[in-house]
Amino acid sequence: MAVPLFRRQFDSTEVVNTADDALARPELITGGKTFADVTNIVSRIAEAPSPPRIWWPLFLGSVALVGVLFSMIIYLVVTGIGVWGVNTPVSWGFAIVNFVFWVGIGHAGTLISAILFLFRQKWRTGINRFAEAMTIFAVMCAAIFPGIHVGRVWLVHYLFPLPNQMSLWPNFRSPLLWDVFAVGTYFTVSLLFWYMGMIPDLATFRDRARTRTRQIVYGLLAIGWRGSNRQWLHYEKAYLLLAALATPLVISVHSVVSFDFATSQLPGWHTSIFPPYFVAGAIFGGFAMVVTLAIPARELFGLKNIITLHHLENMNKIILATGMMVGYAYMMEFFTAWYSGNPAEGFAFVNRALGPYAWAYWIMIGCNVLAPQLFWFKRARTSIWAMLGVVMCVNVGMWFERFVIVVSSLSRDFLPSGWDYYTPTMVDILTFAGSFGLFFMLFLLFVRFAPLVAMAEVKSVMPQAHPHFDEHKPLGDYWGDAPGAHEEQERLARAEGGRS
Amino acid sequence: MPPLDDSITTRKRLAGLTGRRYWRSLDELARTPQFAAAMEREFPEVAVDALSPESRREFLKLMGASLALAGLTLTGCRWPRETIAPYAKRPQGFTPGQPAQYATAMELGGAAVGLLVTSYDGRPIKIEGNPLHPASRGATTAIHQASVLDLYDIDRASQVVQRQGGQTLQPGLEGFRQFASERFAGLRTRGGEGLALLLEETGSPTTLAMRAQLRDSMPLAQQFVYEPVSRDNQRQAMRRLYGRAYRPLLRLEGADVIASFDDDFLLLHPDGVRHAREFAARRNPDSGAMNRLYVLESTVSLTGTNADHRAALRPGQVALQLRILAARLFLKSGLSLPAGAEHLEGLLRVHMNDVNEHPLLEPLCKDLLRHRGRSLLTVGPRQTADVHVLAQLINDALGNVGKTVELVPDPRQDHGDRAQIEELAGQLKAGAISTLVIAGGNPVYNAPPELSVAGKLAGAETVIHLSQDENETSQHCSWLLPRAHYLEAWGDATGWDGTYSVIQPLIEPLYGGLSEIELLSMLISAEPRSGYELVRETYAQRFGEDDFEARWRTALHDGLVAGSASAPARPTPDYGRALTGTDLDGVRVYGEEAATDGFELAVVPDPRVYDGRFANNGWLQEAPDPLTKLTWDNAAVISVADAAAQGLRDGDVIELPPDSGVKLPVLVMPGQPRGVITVALGYGRQVCGRVGRGVGVNAYALRPQEHGGAAQVMQPRKTGRTHELACTQDHYVIDTLGMAERERRVGGLVREANLAFYHEHPDFAQKMTHHPPLKSLWTEHSYEGHRWALAIDLSSCIGCGACITACQAENNIPVVGKQRVLEGREMHWIRVDRYFTGDPAAPQSLSQPVACHHCEMAPCEQVCPVAATVHSSEGLNEMVYNRCVGTRYCANNCPYKVRRFNYFNYQKGITETQKLGFNPEVTVRSRGVMEKCTYCVQRIQGAKIDAGNEQRPLEDGEITPACAQACPARAITFGDLNDPDSAVRKLHDHQRAYAMLAELNVKPRTAYLAKLRNPAPGTPEYETPPPELYEHAEEHDEHAGHAGEGDGHAAAGEGEGH
Repeated sequence: MAVPLFRRQFDSTEVVNTADDALARPELITGGKTFADVTNIVSRIAEAPSPPRIWWPLFLGSVALVGVLFSMIIYLVVTGIGVWGVNTPVSWGFAIVNFVFWVGIGHAGTLISAILFLFRQKWRTGINRFAEAMTIFAVMCAAIFPGIHVGRVWLVHYLFPLPNQMSLWPNFRSPLLWDVFAVGTYFTVSLLFWYMGMIPDLATFRDRARTRTRQIVYGLLAIGWRGSNRQWLHYEKAYLLLAALATPLVISVHSVVSFDFATSQLPGWHTSIFPPYFVAGAIFGGFAMVVTLAIPARELFGLKNIITLHHLENMNKIILATGMMVGYAYMMEFFTAWYSGNPAEGFAFVNRALGPYAWAYWIMIGCNVLAPQLFWFKRARTSIWAMLGVVMCVNVGMWFERFVIVVSSLSRDFLPSGWDYYTPTMVDILTFAGSFGLFFMLFLLFVRFAPLVAMAEVKSVMPQAHPHFDEHKPLGDYWGDAPGAHEEQERLARAEGGRS
Repeated sequence: MPPLDDSITTRKRLAGLTGRRYWRSLDELARTPQFAAAMEREFPEVAVDALSPESRREFLKLMGASLALAGLTLTGCRWPRETIAPYAKRPQGFTPGQPAQYATAMELGGAAVGLLVTSYDGRPIKIEGNPLHPASRGATTAIHQASVLDLYDIDRASQVVQRQGGQTLQPGLEGFRQFASERFAGLRTRGGEGLALLLEETGSPTTLAMRAQLRDSMPLAQQFVYEPVSRDNQRQAMRRLYGRAYRPLLRLEGADVIASFDDDFLLLHPDGVRHAREFAARRNPDSGAMNRLYVLESTVSLTGTNADHRAALRPGQVALQLRILAARLFLKSGLSLPAGAEHLEGLLRVHMNDVNEHPLLEPLCKDLLRHRGRSLLTVGPRQTADVHVLAQLINDALGNVGKTVELVPDPRQDHGDRAQIEELAGQLKAGAISTLVIAGGNPVYNAPPELSVAGKLAGAETVIHLSQDENETSQHCSWLLPRAHYLEAWGDATGWDGTYSVIQPLIEPLYGGLSEIELLSMLISAEPRSGYELVRETYAQRFGEDDFEARWRTALHDGLVAGSASAPARPTPDYGRALTGTDLDGVRVYGEEAATDGFELAVVPDPRVYDGRFANNGWLQEAPDPLTKLTWDNAAVISVADAAAQGLRDGDVIELPPDSGVKLPVLVMPGQPRGVITVALGYGRQVCGRVGRGVGVNAYALRPQEHGGAAQVMQPRKTGRTHELACTQDHYVIDTLGMAERERRVGGLVREANLAFYHEHPDFAQKMTHHPPLKSLWTEHSYEGHRWALAIDLSSCIGCGACITACQAENNIPVVGKQRVLEGREMHWIRVDRYFTGDPAAPQSLSQPVACHHCEMAPCEQVCPVAATVHSSEGLNEMVYNRCVGTRYCANNCPYKVRRFNYFNYQKGITETQKLGFNPEVTVRSRGVMEKCTYCVQRIQGAKIDAGNEQRPLEDGEITPACAQACPARAITFGDLNDPDSAVRKLHDHQRAYAMLAELNVKPRTAYLAKLRNPAPGTPEYETPPPELYEHAEEHDEHAGHAGEGDGHAAAGEGEGH
């Protein structure tokens, strides 16, 4: 018998929990799992002696792409920006398109963990951890591009307000500088938020560790978490505060990114609709990426009972809603251009739809506006293959949205004498592909070595977490059962006590 | 306490070294272990007896050695060591680093233009026109500007090369002198038998005198003059008319009506700079009546694009129209034929009511009759001598000769280029020539190919080629002598009008070259004289010995001898001899439909590489053609209709004629006449430096048999291949949507109107955009002191593009090459936008120079994150290259798209020789930084410092940016807006002034003055719909008043000064 590519390590069967019954809230964790089951399911992923077989080709492929990315960056730095396709009217090309694309992807994680947290959306717990990880990695990918896209990378520190002997400050009027601060802050807060959320789960890993190395590494990362009531009290307060802090950042970061365009005076960029439109688009694109990653992850690691169809359907609903917002923004851009009576503005949009970059525009419309319409149908919302198709479209469409905004506006601005067509070079394309390599490499390392699901949080939304649950059913073993480690766990459980 | 022995040993070693050897040995010394040990102890233990004089000296030596050691090890860490050789005695009046200007002249095609050359520490770096010289009046063409680059061309011929029996030797100039003294002595004794010289056309009195001397001393030697680009047909026409050749000197300032028949007198004419100046001076209705230009031409020329009435016709048709015009004038309108031309009446009668008559002739005829003595007709070099004679006849009959058309003696009186080169080829073939001296010239490349000069050169025993570069011809010569650049050698020249100039060198020949007169002197005499002596002798002969030194110095200083222009002659024409009836029938006239009888060819000199001699000049190769905007190539220019009919698109390669091997890419050009393919000469150089080799296609093979004469008819064959054409505008094929938008926008960007409309609405240019009142987001700058600004008069601008190359020369702008131009990365700081409006078959064209507008509310400054582009207190938008990290955001936000980015390190591989040509006042930019027009800030600062040193205020006009200085049309004016009397202030306040894209509230400092055309009443051009105006502008002005802000309807000058 041939060895299947997907070796199902864990028991995982799909439970349809998407019934539209207003009275009966759907189960967030299906399959009648106990606390111990949750711990086991999640921890085993990192504890398994070898990852699922497909992990290795994926990882090696990603590493190869990272090699491509860094080769391209070295080639770029040694040779000059001219290795890209940018030219005189189109001074920004793939680099900025990719930057905005990745920053957009980086939206969903913090939105899920912060905004949905504040709104008490319990279903967020199943997906928030890896969505946050996705955010971190996407922002890392994004941060590469503005760094390398400048002509003199070695002087990029001029962008920071560093004290210097000439008392020179950066120009605080420039949206690019705002970007530096906005993305920097967003990345810092998202990273803190992600890491802080992971501490209890890292402590679980530490406690379940079978090797000295794991004990030390996870022990250091868990920074002394013991799960005491006092720690939980501080932890939850801090979590709430960070969520409150991160929430405006989710809105601000992409608003500020949109200022790069909106505050300039280029027709097609100079639009006040950009901040909300960019934020909606970022959530749209971010959720699409979460679904893109969630589908293989739950399949591969047997998480179907934790990341249930209900979770996916909820995200698909958000995709539908934000997709509509994005579609509305596309429409309003045309309306505003017409209503303002500004001929340059009017042309910029007609040119988008009918000019030399019409192909990109219609890819964008098809992928971002038309494809999500499928989610009006419950069957599409709950079908894995259908949603995979739609979210892939959205991923493509959102990249093209940025391409259309950046390139089509620049290529035809005020003076027709300066118009030119932009074509990316191989270096552009390989650098972009390389950034996916970096993203997936980091993500694959994450799923292999870190708690993919926020175990502690998931448990808090399980029926067992209800104060009166034990009146009906015996409480499960909170610590779960690491293979062949019952005695030790019981000892630990006694020593530390569980959360109830 | 370390043992004393060590230091004593060291001291002994040091003591043993003396003088030069001491310094040379420091290295060795430094490597000895004793010394190293001594160095380790911070102070060598010599203090013991430091007070004794002897040991103190040793101590100092040792310390010196330690410093030297520090130098040895640390050199190269940061600063390179430089050898500085200061003047021990500084020459009087010379400050190192202070530029000096010298007057000289450059000759091209037999006529000179006076120049002023800026020199830094003995290095000529920038060429300007000589304001005193009538052919320049301070202006130049792109070719003059770029000629300084040829001086530092690393591909120049740098060695005397002798080819002998398959061997290539480099015997040096001495080797040649030895050979020459022997060979030339032999020739002199035989009266020059077997000697032939192939020479270039010149007006240089010294050269002509030397040639005459040679003729006297060696009567059997033959001299041939061949100039691939010349006005030979005109010369032959003059010879027929007057018995000897005269040059028509066009006095355009006195001409109200100008009619050009295929003559691109504004650009492709030896006197083009003066023409442009005089023509442009009459395009401003505010300072005198506007002239009116009619052009009938067989290609798209710069002159044609500046015409008020233009007809694009096949070459034969152009000639025919002139005859119909003559018929109209002499037979219908009552103009009487001049004496001696009565016999033409019958011949012209054929053209009465000719069906071919172009509608343009009727207003032209009327205008000519109304402006007798104040009009002129001129005919281009591609038309036959008959056509020239006929035009001269009309000029004569209208009383223009002596007024708007003056005749000055032509220094050249021979039978024409084609005849000369044919005769030389015949002689070579017959073996009558044993020694051939080619002074300049490149006949293997540019002689008619059917003469196969290359093969025939082998017929001569010795061929001596004096050439600035190793070219196609040098390969077939036994001697190649490096020719001195005109900035390296003494010479003299005369302008088109005969004005005498001394060509004085500014630098020793970089590669030890010779000039033509020096070579001729070697031929004539056993004791050759230097160019300096020869020129002084000519000067003395011409202007007398009295007070020689003082006048010679004046001539050198001024760059010319005032009043030395040739006196206009009034020779009597002999029409009977010049125009017989049969001549007039000799012109083949093809119909307007091209399909049946194929295409006629118009082979024209290139405004950049000329006849091919400037092919290795990167500035010229990259300078866009004024009309096609093509760089780094020539192309088969074809009309829009023909392209559609033949299924040809830009870049399709055609073979012309089929199976000839001449394959050219097609370039579709609005305004090109149907049935005509225009090809520029000067490309396809095979033996050339690295810049020009293989660029474009050699079109000499396409030249018709009759030199510069009637066109050939041929049917092109499609090859199915394509070739990418690097144009600086319309980089790619624009779709219909884009074309419609461009058409819609052009009117607002380049504002123009007919003269009559302008008289009705003098402020029309200010009422052409409509937008709400504008408010500033920031507190605006206040400008105390200076407020620099530019004004460009589009009515004057002819679109020649001299400004582009002038800017490139002044500002060290790199050449990026064809590939980069294709990628849209050309670096020119100023560009000349060219637009066409109307019917593609007969479009109106507009030229608009665009450089940085130095906006007061500069969008670039607001978005730069590192404050690398900032506003100066005088309103300059400045680039701080050191600070720039290259985000390129500024370029995105610039509505004029004038910022240029260094995508690569364009200075890589620049040799020391090339570095000599850089302007030391301007930073050479590194890779990764943005750059753009600075209004020539180095000139502004220089003038301010000078004025400051002299404790006086700056005067208006003291500062001229490079573009304005080179402009032959004087379309660009620079100055201080805060000075109410400055020229630029007046232009900004002018009723024709407008700011481009003023509605963006960027408050540009460059104002444009609307273009005016002067079509004849009753013509379709006169009836062109006028620009759409917003007459209710006043309402908004009131709102604007409330808002306390300027309104976009205001002139550029208004709305400023908050």
